[in-house]
Amino acid sequence: MNLVLLLLSGVFLPLFPLSWLFNRLVASAPGAWAKALAILVLPQLGVQLLWTSGLRFSGIAGPWHGPAAALALGTAILYAFRAISVREITIWARFMATSGLALAWLQVLAGLPAAQVQLSLLAWSIPGALLCLWAGELARRMGGAYIGLSGGVARVLPRLSTLLTMGALAATATPVFPGFFVLLNVMGVLPAGWVPFLLPVLFLWGWSIGRFLQDLLFGVYRGEEVEDLGIAGAWAGALVLVVFAVAGLFFWGATWTVS
Amino acid sequence: MDSQLTLGDRLRVRSMIYVASEPIPRFWPMRTFIHHNPLFGLEHLPFEKAVEEGTRLFHGRGYLPRQEYQRYRAEGKIDDVALRRRMDAFVARSADRIPGGIDLGKWIWTLATSWPAERLVFRSEWLTGAGLYAVLHSQSGGEETAPETAVRLEAILKRRVAADAPVYMNVDRLFGTDIGATLDELLVKSCLDFFDEGQSAWQAPNREQGFFSAWKDVARRNARFLLRGLQLRQLLQLEETPEGMVAYILRLLKVPESSWQSYITRQLTRLHGWAGFIRYRSSARHYYWSRKHPADLTDFLAVRMVLGMALLQEAVRHHGAPADAEAVRRFVEEDSWGAYLRLELHEGRILPDWAHLVEDDLARRRSRNREDLARRYIRAKSRWEAVRQVKALQGLADLVGENAAQALQVLSAGEIETLLELLREWEHGEGFVWLQAMESHYITALVEKIRVPPPDPEPAKRPFAQAYFCIDVRSEPMRRQLEALGDYETFGIAGFFGIPIGYLEFGKGSESHLCPAVQTPKNLVPEIPADLDLEEEPLYGALEHVLHDLKGSVLSPFVAVEAIGLIFSLGLIGKTVAPLTYHQLRGHLDAKKPVTRLLLDKLSPDQADSILRAVQRAMIVRALAKELGIGRDQVTDDEVRELREIAMGHVPGPSTVARRLGIGETREAEFIARLREVYRVDRQETGLQMERLGRIGFSLEEQVRYVTQALLSTGLNRNFSRFVLLAAHESQTENNPYESALDCGACSGGRGLPNARALATMATKPEVRRRLRDTGITIPDDTWFLPAVHNTTTDAVELHDIEMLPARHLLYLERLRNGLSAATRRCAARRMPTLGAPGKLAEDPYAAAVMARRQAHDWSQVRPEWGLSRNLYGIIGRRILTEGVDLEGRAFLHSDDYRLDPKGRMLENILSSPLVVGEWINLEHYFSTVDVEHYGSGSKVYHNVAGRFAVMTGNQSDLRTGLPTQTVLQDGRPYHEPLRLIGLVEAPVPFVLRAVGNLVKVRSLLFGGWLRVIVLDPEDGYRAHVLEDGELQVHPASDRRSRPQNSLEEIAS
Repeated sequence: MNLVLLLLSGVFLPLFPLSWLFNRLVASAPGAWAKALAILVLPQLGVQLLWTSGLRFSGIAGPWHGPAAALALGTAILYAFRAISVREITIWARFMATSGLALAWLQVLAGLPAAQVQLSLLAWSIPGALLCLWAGELARRMGGAYIGLSGGVARVLPRLSTLLTMGALAATATPVFPGFFVLLNVMGVLPAGWVPFLLPVLFLWGWSIGRFLQDLLFGVYRGEEVEDLGIAGAWAGALVLVVFAVAGLFFWGATWTVS
Repeated sequence: MDSQLTLGDRLRVRSMIYVASEPIPRFWPMRTFIHHNPLFGLEHLPFEKAVEEGTRLFHGRGYLPRQEYQRYRAEGKIDDVALRRRMDAFVARSADRIPGGIDLGKWIWTLATSWPAERLVFRSEWLTGAGLYAVLHSQSGGEETAPETAVRLEAILKRRVAADAPVYMNVDRLFGTDIGATLDELLVKSCLDFFDEGQSAWQAPNREQGFFSAWKDVARRNARFLLRGLQLRQLLQLEETPEGMVAYILRLLKVPESSWQSYITRQLTRLHGWAGFIRYRSSARHYYWSRKHPADLTDFLAVRMVLGMALLQEAVRHHGAPADAEAVRRFVEEDSWGAYLRLELHEGRILPDWAHLVEDDLARRRSRNREDLARRYIRAKSRWEAVRQVKALQGLADLVGENAAQALQVLSAGEIETLLELLREWEHGEGFVWLQAMESHYITALVEKIRVPPPDPEPAKRPFAQAYFCIDVRSEPMRRQLEALGDYETFGIAGFFGIPIGYLEFGKGSESHLCPAVQTPKNLVPEIPADLDLEEEPLYGALEHVLHDLKGSVLSPFVAVEAIGLIFSLGLIGKTVAPLTYHQLRGHLDAKKPVTRLLLDKLSPDQADSILRAVQRAMIVRALAKELGIGRDQVTDDEVRELREIAMGHVPGPSTVARRLGIGETREAEFIARLREVYRVDRQETGLQMERLGRIGFSLEEQVRYVTQALLSTGLNRNFSRFVLLAAHESQTENNPYESALDCGACSGGRGLPNARALATMATKPEVRRRLRDTGITIPDDTWFLPAVHNTTTDAVELHDIEMLPARHLLYLERLRNGLSAATRRCAARRMPTLGAPGKLAEDPYAAAVMARRQAHDWSQVRPEWGLSRNLYGIIGRRILTEGVDLEGRAFLHSDDYRLDPKGRMLENILSSPLVVGEWINLEHYFSTVDVEHYGSGSKVYHNVAGRFAVMTGNQSDLRTGLPTQTVLQDGRPYHEPLRLIGLVEAPVPFVLRAVGNLVKVRSLLFGGWLRVIVLDPEDGYRAHVLEDGELQVHPASDRRSRPQNSLEEIAS
């Protein structure tokens, strides 16, 4: 029973190769809202299942620690790498979320309390979910959320592009978004010898966001005229991002940095 | 490999390059910015056709977007009658194709005047009448059958993977590689290295060998190319000559010989700015840098093709791309479905919701379902195109109103297709119709503004001063303001005053041509200092040289910033915070230009030799002081003479002065080498200078001819006033690479003061006046021709050569100056508000003049003046036609009195030179406005100076050849109204036609529609005859019935 729960938690809190199922589940969700919900809920379910299984890790000394940590880091690197070549925003958001969520396993392995891990998961899930929603808006206007076809989207959809840009920055652990503090925490709980293996993740995220923004913001737009996100929608999105960042400072940043 | 190519092959390649380069306009260096028609190479075609060809070659648009014309219409600048007439003609032409129930005239009127987007009929590949019908009636289906799809696909692929397109371009389209962009980048870097004119501190080696040869040497050792894996060495070993290399690579790429011409054209037009510059350079024999570092388009093409080949080979290795044209064709034939999907994805035309799916499929090496995927995609695309098109058609039908929507609904599939085809045809030509309708409005406005002179005007009293200004549009307000002040009479003449000169300015090493770019001056005019101390350089000048050298040094960033950075900050703060004060203070530090005279009379061979020796000796004295620190008092004339002989290679060293002052052999040799290279005291240069000296000056006959021509062509042969001002013009701006674009177009972007001085000197010479009297032009003894400069940025008019003014004239000088400065202030008051100054400045001329001066010195100012923007009219006739008429600074005004020109020769001169320059200026503005990115040069903000001869966008790009956004647009909308030049000639119709008939080029421009023409016929009651659709038609506003005349082109020819 414990093994089944552990495997299920590996699906929901993505760990290679079970992460493939997590991605299939999110991809099969109908519509942007369902995808967003899946990214938010499934990882939480994964942690819950892990705790229900009764399996506890007690820091770096555990016998499974090495292989499990390597697998978690490998998962993060793999999905970060895959995200580089992807131009469909929903898929990009999914891969980036998977890459970030996989790092939560390192916190689990370090024996962090369940509540803290669940909070960490939100740092990756919320940007992923928001990106899914905004990608849906983009698809509604342009027929798809595939960037880089015409370039210069920011020129015709300035509000939506701003939200997408900020969401993507949040997804790649840019300061002051919570992902940054979670990443600091992960670095803190990792043994010093493991930290260099985390660096490729950062490098790949940097590369990925660079390509993402290049495709989204620059170039000359050659498509048809489209209507931008409404002012109310833009403000609502901006508010969510601000609350997310401020809450991040309070819950993830201040608390963890002080502690 | 060389041996496999025959001489015929090589010559054929060269001739193909020559032919391919014909449509590419020459691009002059920016120091002498020549306003040119970007479609100059296509002027043999009618305007409308040339615009289409320009779009094909340079990807530039030829007309404004529809919405801009709609805004002009709302502002009352479109002649609705003309617009309607053109539409009616279109409807009449299409009468037999119009579907029943459709009022096509109403549809296209609504489309043109009310449709809020640039296009109604979208570019579609899969659209069919059946598909449109199905969507219109909310039915499914309407798709083509499988065989039909396959046939259409073949046609699409043939068009999109063109056989004559460069292979790398097709590979980019099919594989999403970036060869084109990388190739441009590498080529631009190579060009920057080679063509640099002193901007780089480190120069590329062996440039004197020519572009291809020098580039080859560097490329073989270029680590950057090696790191990229470009196998250039092997390629470069295969051929020596550039034309051989081009032919070899074309064969290697298996390009069919029948396609070589178009293949070469496509390659050259890709970076047409660079190609245009190289084209100019290779044909400008007098251009110093082209003599020093020769290059032509064959070199350019060879470098491009070698780099392109190497990049293609890299793509073949990394992406498995086809290696030649044959392989590309096979690749497309073998997997046409996959090829189509590839094109859709990599050209960015794919439906976004299919993009990821297609990308995934193409990423697989083998896909069993690719054809199925492609067919499904094509169905989706076909439906999407139909939905989009039907939505637009229904939108238009709703705007048309009445029963248009119902009429659309009852059309059959075939009829819908026909309607769409008709609308597509209309949209294709709509821009040209708008253009004509807008021109029609301005033609009427001009005809109504023109003042018809009284039949017998009263004899004029002697004016206080007569002033010649350039025909430039910026002279018009100045002339109007000056005339409004009182006793001033003004004339318009091309800014080179009809005297084409090669000018050798004092202190400059090379000759500049001060005449329209279409002419090559025969006479050379050097400027000779009358009062100069060659030995002493002012302290500030010396300091400036030191700082300049320091800036170019590689070590400067490490040692100089802390030490002398503060010195630069003074200038930085001064120029930014108080530009006017800074300029005044700095003016005290700069050395004053010495008083000079122009050498205008022809020289005998002895005189020429003597002058050359004197100049060379002066240069040696200067070199001794600068290079060796030896003052004039330390050397004798004989020693200077000896140094000259050594530099010329007539006698060997060491020199007496070297022995006497203990200068070592090596040091002396270095000094002699500097004398030859820097100060140009060598045998070859002397031969060249002697040749030039033969060109110096004008014979008396020439002087008389030029003065007569200048006076008679402008209608001034009597009633001369005390002062005849010859006002050249120039601009004054800081930090502005486009500075010369604001100078005189008739002087090839130079400054016309030397021409004004030359004419003034000639016209004041007693011998010339005596001969003029013989021809019936009597210039009174108290008439003095005075050169001046009209500064178009500040509107100030500065008088020159006053020291030569007779004492009796000095009494009147104050009055003249007062009048000029009052006109300056009045002009500034009108002009400053248009440059963003507060409107109240219009009421405060003094403040406006101060602001204009500040603009001229403000280095952050991207728009110091509007220049020739908004130019529209070219009026050739007497001033009385436009005197007192506010032409808003939009007219080139050339004075002309046909009555003094019985043979029409002077009119021919005006038509063939100033009018053509006006047309170039006008079309440069036209095309820069309608497409500021392709024909213009984009925003100045991103510009960087390239090699001191042009600008690029960012750190590297094609050379930006047109006018920048800041010159033609204001707040994103056109400030310059893009219209063809509307020329008005005051002369009898047959007289004009005879003159035009004698000028092949002008006839082709007029009848090709490159400019509009009105003939104001004094012998026909001053009725205005407008050239429209190849016929002269009397304009209704000139109050007579229209009498069309046929076959005018025949009469003209």
